Amino acid sequence: MDDTEANVARAPLPTAKTLRARKNLLIQFGRFLAINTKMLKIIRKERR
Amino acid sequence: MARVVVLGGGIAGHTAALHLTRMLKRSDEVVVVTPNSNWNWIPSNIWVGVGKMKTDQVTFKLGPIYKRKGIEFHQALATAIHPEGRPGRPRPFVEITYTDPIRTGEQVELDYDYLVNATGPKLNFGATPGLGPDGHSYSVCTAAHAVEASAALQASINRMRRGERQVLVVGMGHGTCTCEGAAFEYAFNVEHEVHQAGVRDLAEIVYLTNEYELGDFGVGGLTFTQQGFQTTSKLWTESLFRERGIRAISGAHVTRVEEGVVRYEQLDGSNNSLAFDFAMLLPPFRGVDLQAFDAEGADISAELFAPSGFMKVDADYSSKPFEEWRAEDWPSTYQVPRFPNIFAVGIAFAPPHQISRPRKSPSGTVIAPSPPRTGMPSGIMGKLAATNIAEMIEHGASAQVHSASMADMGAACVASAGSGLRHGSAASMTMYPVVPDLVKYPGTGRSLKDTFGEIGLSGHWIKLLLHYMFIYKAKARPGWHLIPE
Repeated sequence: MDDTEANVARAPLPTAKTLRARKNLLIQFGRFLAINTKMLKIIRKERR
Repeated sequence: MARVVVLGGGIAGHTAALHLTRMLKRSDEVVVVTPNSNWNWIPSNIWVGVGKMKTDQVTFKLGPIYKRKGIEFHQALATAIHPEGRPGRPRPFVEITYTDPIRTGEQVELDYDYLVNATGPKLNFGATPGLGPDGHSYSVCTAAHAVEASAALQASINRMRRGERQVLVVGMGHGTCTCEGAAFEYAFNVEHEVHQAGVRDLAEIVYLTNEYELGDFGVGGLTFTQQGFQTTSKLWTESLFRERGIRAISGAHVTRVEEGVVRYEQLDGSNNSLAFDFAMLLPPFRGVDLQAFDAEGADISAELFAPSGFMKVDADYSSKPFEEWRAEDWPSTYQVPRFPNIFAVGIAFAPPHQISRPRKSPSGTVIAPSPPRTGMPSGIMGKLAATNIAEMIEHGASAQVHSASMADMGAACVASAGSGLRHGSAASMTMYPVVPDLVKYPGTGRSLKDTFGEIGLSGHWIKLLLHYMFIYKAKARPGWHLIPE
């Protein structure tokens, strides 16, 4: 809808710290493990 | 001895066939009929479409795998199902027409005791004049389409290197398309490539979608908790679009694609056009051209298939308003009510209704994403059909049938936003359940504990891991069945 462009224009931008964290190898390795754990939880739920 | 015929060798059909080989006795037969000789890990086609992967990295030959697993393989197109056989031939059978170059056009009838319809979608480019590789836009639905898209994108990047401005449009080619996630991924991968090529300032990238708002993804959007607050995939996605400078047009139904111009109608009733230099627009899906006949040869296709061409299974297909939709409307065993020995899984089954709220423009044009049922749900359904068939073969009428409704099934999705081991990124998402259940989870319809989203480099690593893991699994390498669907 027409609102979409306006919504995008005023959407919150990530801070420089967040952007750095998204690329930081150490942090991202930790997130890699955490997200995989979350995904495995969904799979385990499925298998039950 | 039982004979199981699987129509389709995509994620659902291939998963069903492989599990059947380990669940059934050696004396039972597993047959796969699929028009393609290759298996394709479709989620990675977006990387082929930006030149980051080659076709042989996302596809492999099915024949050798099936030979090794003892599966009878017919490279052919199923054209008709006869669930009651015909006079003098009581056993059910399917009619197939070979696409195998050695037997092209040859027609054969294959008997079955159990049938799994996993024929996937027909890419309905014809629904929008000018849409698709035979028209004026590109697609990434198949590896071959993605190769063409990559070449055209590269040509556009080369023009930018010469100083020309380019408009790159990515999105949905019809108001009822599904797979918004794939278009989202491709838009951000295009942005990433253009950025890497050093010509970002010369590219206007436009995401054109049938979603009412960004972040809908055909599942009505997601709500999840982040730092103590509930947030939505809408806000999260809008933020990403702003950060990466991608323009978004939502609630759009593409009416026509002409040379360099896409014309579309929006939910507010306006008719607009957008000039482009490169366009990747996904087609809507419909069921493959499959008919059904009863014992007397009467056409029963309307009983077995919805008008969309998808097969009707154990769902509630009665027409009712959005407010009355319930989780129980969704199928749980994917069996055809009149013929419980026929299963339809993956994209092949007819969903009872959309997941996102359906909307119409003032002129009555339906602009509503169709429910996604690819990837993880497809694999789960394929395995479910195999499990239930194995049970039915072993225990007959007393078999305990298992269920896996999309209203009681979770999904993990990783939407790439750019590739590269150091500079890639992706949005990782989980949702539970796929179809919201407002009775079980009042408010959002989903478990807030099991629904989440996050953007970062780790998402790219996960998508890459899934790429290699699922190709390993599909090749039926040692321990393949331990890898979850």
